[in-house]
Amino acid sequence: MANLIEQLLNALVLAGLLFLVSAGLSLVFGILRVVNFAHGVFYMLGAYLGFTAVALTGWFWPALVIVPPVVGVLGALLESSTLRFIYRRPQIYQLLLTFGLALILEESIRILYGPTAKGVEPPALLQGAISLGGLLYPRYRLFLVVLSLVVGAAVWLFLRTTRAGLVIRAVAQNSEMADCLGADVARVRTLVFGAACALAGLGGVAAAPMTTAYLGMGIGVIVEAFVVVVIGGLGSIGGSMVGSLIVGAAQTWGAFYLPESAMVIMYAVMGAILIFRPWGLFGEEE
Amino acid sequence: MSPARILGAAALVALAIGPWLLARHQLSLLTDLLIFGLFAMSLDLILGYTGMLSFGHAAYFGLGAYASALVLLEFAQPVPVALLAGMLLAGVVAVPIGWLSTRSTGVYFAMLTLAFAQFLYTVAYKWRSLTGGSDGIAGVPKTSLFWGGPSLASPQAFYFLAAACVVLSLLLCRALVRSPFGRALQAIRENERRFTSLGRDPRPFKLVVFVIAAVFAGLAGALFAPFRGFASPEVMFWVFSGQALMMVTMGGIGTLVGPIVGAMVFILIQEILSSYTEHWMIFTGVVFVLIVIFLPGGLVGTARRLGMRG
Repeated sequence: MANLIEQLLNALVLAGLLFLVSAGLSLVFGILRVVNFAHGVFYMLGAYLGFTAVALTGWFWPALVIVPPVVGVLGALLESSTLRFIYRRPQIYQLLLTFGLALILEESIRILYGPTAKGVEPPALLQGAISLGGLLYPRYRLFLVVLSLVVGAAVWLFLRTTRAGLVIRAVAQNSEMADCLGADVARVRTLVFGAACALAGLGGVAAAPMTTAYLGMGIGVIVEAFVVVVIGGLGSIGGSMVGSLIVGAAQTWGAFYLPESAMVIMYAVMGAILIFRPWGLFGEEE
Repeated sequence: MSPARILGAAALVALAIGPWLLARHQLSLLTDLLIFGLFAMSLDLILGYTGMLSFGHAAYFGLGAYASALVLLEFAQPVPVALLAGMLLAGVVAVPIGWLSTRSTGVYFAMLTLAFAQFLYTVAYKWRSLTGGSDGIAGVPKTSLFWGGPSLASPQAFYFLAAACVVLSLLLCRALVRSPFGRALQAIRENERRFTSLGRDPRPFKLVVFVIAAVFAGLAGALFAPFRGFASPEVMFWVFSGQALMMVTMGGIGTLVGPIVGAMVFILIQEILSSYTEHWMIFTGVVFVLIVIFLPGGLVGTARRLGMRG
């Protein structure tokens, strides 16, 4: 029983981090019709900047607050200096461009931080383990579950209840019509791109105390996030949530029962879903 | 004669006399270029002619490399047998993956091909008893041309084999894209919905070209293993798939020759810069981004357009 609860919590931790990344990926696709290959690198950048912020201030909490906006601004700048010019081209070119950006960013991080992984101390409040009815569970992991739930709820409420959220949903549904009705589509694109990067950066800085900041964490998370959005369907926040839970569960129980080939389970699930729903559970056929 | 034909003939002559003009290191660079050019060209069949962006093409290169390495090392067969084995394995694995991936289009297809390739990479990494895990398979010999035939151990001999394979593949791919089948692929690229409404199902076409592209990628990988003497999981990694995409884009999407030119540019940048810095990839990345933004036709596509105008 304790074992089952522990696995369940591990799955939730993984799902929470995946959601922070895949929700942004999905949101950007809904607005820009671009799958941002560089999205995983923004997650990695968040982790590395988190390391720097903790090293400079000696505190974790300021890092958690400062890093996401920094990553977001960088993302918005990249969108308005490169991607903006090629929206009219076939989709292939936008994917290629974000791939090139991912490569440049990843190499920049390698140059700045070197090849070794950087560990980040969790805040004193969240160190050690907590006892849950006989099960000792790391406090920090529980915090990650809570954090991703809070952020997920905030994103959902923002999109559903605010005026800005309404405009974003309108642009996602029909950008030309939204443009005619006076929405500044170019600005919405830049802001959403930046916000999505900030979410990924938040995921990265939050993950760093658990996973350390290391090269290659970007591609690792983007492949899993791709699987999430393929399962859940692009452009759907709810789909990202369900997809994250499915992938988190598949990875956790896969690692438990088939330690050498946890990924096989994830791909088997994805393959099975694709056979019946090529556009994902919540996606729409293009 | 058109300028393109003159250039083609000049390239053939250069390939034929190259070994006598080049130093050992340069010849090995040229062989590299041919192998990577073939790999990039195979990707152009699906990317340029069918409009399907695969992020996982390195998987088939890697399958070819592993099959070839095992055939040469464990069974000591002639190199052409290893090449056939590489093409066969890549083609066979591409069938189920292609069948699943071609159910989707556009960005879904791109994400699926990447996911499946990373899966195959993990298999190569973990299946230690067969693939040697992260060390890979080392000491792959360049055996002979046929049973009891001449040895391919000299750099020149192997170069000529690689050059013959690449030229032959280029001619085959060119014939393919000009055939009715190739025309159908380009129709799918231009407007898949119209293709469907004309009463044809695009999926069999996409699956077949996906497998053909995998077979040529497998050939490139099968040449790579004996040439470099090893096969390792790195050749299946996403970075390598991305590098092939960069070669195709820089040279020119949908031109077949372009990817080979792109491979040349890529390898030259690497060769020149890697003696100054280990971070040459960042420079390649910048060149690549600039070409995507400003020269959507790539080098060959842009040259052709200018040629037609002038």
